Amino acid sequence: MSAKPPALEITDLVKRYPNGMEALKSVSLEIAEGEFFGLLGPNGAGKSTMIHCTTGLARPTSGSVKIFGHDAVNHYREAREAVALAPQEINLDMFLTLEETLDLHGGYFGMSKADRKERTAELLDAFSLTSKRDERTRTLSGGMKRRLTLARALMHRPRLLILDEPTAGVDIELRLELWQYIEKINREGTTVMLTTHYLEEAERMCDRIAFINHGEIAAHGTIEELSARYGVNSLEDAYLELVGRQELSRSHVTAEPV
Amino acid sequence: MSASQIRLLSLIRREVNRFMKIKRQTIGGPLLETFLYISVFGAALGSRIHQVHGFKYIVFVIPGLIMMAWAMNAFANNSSSILQQKFSRSIDDQLSSPASPLQLLMGFSLGGFIRGFIVAMLTLAVSMVLVSLPIREPLVLIPAMILVGLFFAQAGVLIGVRAEQFDDVALYQTFMLQPLIFLGGVFYSASLLPEPFRTMTRFNPVYYMISLVRYGFLGYKDTSVLFSFAMLLIFTGLITAVNYRIFVQGKYLRT
Repeated sequence: MSAKPPALEITDLVKRYPNGMEALKSVSLEIAEGEFFGLLGPNGAGKSTMIHCTTGLARPTSGSVKIFGHDAVNHYREAREAVALAPQEINLDMFLTLEETLDLHGGYFGMSKADRKERTAELLDAFSLTSKRDERTRTLSGGMKRRLTLARALMHRPRLLILDEPTAGVDIELRLELWQYIEKINREGTTVMLTTHYLEEAERMCDRIAFINHGEIAAHGTIEELSARYGVNSLEDAYLELVGRQELSRSHVTAEPV
Repeated sequence: MSASQIRLLSLIRREVNRFMKIKRQTIGGPLLETFLYISVFGAALGSRIHQVHGFKYIVFVIPGLIMMAWAMNAFANNSSSILQQKFSRSIDDQLSSPASPLQLLMGFSLGGFIRGFIVAMLTLAVSMVLVSLPIREPLVLIPAMILVGLFFAQAGVLIGVRAEQFDDVALYQTFMLQPLIFLGGVFYSASLLPEPFRTMTRFNPVYYMISLVRYGFLGYKDTSVLFSFAMLLIFTGLITAVNYRIFVQGKYLRT
């Protein structure tokens, strides 16, 4: 019997924009099924481009992206059925109600009417949005929009969930609520890839982490492996080594006498 | 129903849902505009122009107005819907779905086609109450109207996909679409034009559209029906092929 394919297998991925800017320079990465994987890097490092190449929103210049063994370009249908993205920017359709948002998303993925109805009710309930189901998305608060964005991503039961800074700008309560739910679905078997600027979140949630900078994977491994590689004691210090800002390390800060 | 059919229906449903939610603007507005045309060009001006090719002026003009309603609405709906979704990035929901390029193109096209159909049918119904409007050649009229709707639905998709700001859409609508429609013979018979304008009209695709639609309603023609159908098919086929290529390549939509 052949071995299970990884949830995400990126090989020599290059993305060059028409203006010549190379956002990804031969990136290779593998995420195993069931893993909680962190992708960290400064703004403009290539995280979003990599995510967009994985979800079909960007066209790779060369290299390959496979999702559970399905090529994201040549077998896009199977690949896209297996993956979902909760994007950093809220991109809800302002003409739709919450229920329609989830129902139409399910429809785009070919889910039957009965299945869509059941799944919509389940997700609205899970994210405490049932009372708002008939309201238009534009009337929601920022936190509710964030919850709905995540619910929409989960609608078609993806096996690989990509979270692009899901907790940016959300309050503590909602952040904890979101993490509880994501931890739950990860335990149930959903592979998660997370990008975040909150290193404590990555530290707490992720099995493995990759650092990306200037369109290249600089390092990847467990937190211990990354700390050892950079000769530091924490993920934060390893990250500061990556971006060349060691002077910001809290271990260098000495308390001034009052 | 197969997953593929559900996918396509959902894409169309999204587009119809959008214009039905703002129907005062998307259906009511165009209807009022068409009746203003009927009032001004038909009733007011028509009282001075007694007959055109044996028809009352208002009867001669109404087929063009019905066609124009379908065309303008198909175009406006698709161009603005796509551009608005590009701005809000809500289009990513469709683009990252397993929908094929053809399904995406059909979904985005048929919304405007359906809106144009609704406005055109309402205009037709009221026109038939107001004046005695014959339908002499339904077998020409129905396919001609469908092709006109498809052509302008595709034109709307093309402009919406390429546009980067709302000005771009307004630019095409004001400086290209409206002159083509007005100079194509909606309000007059092209055969009444002096040279070189009469010959110039033959390069305008709208001329063939209005000729077919007018023939379908009134049985009057000033060009060959077969030739007009051939031209309309070529224009619609070409613009659909251009759009399909854009959707396959992902140009303007996927980075």
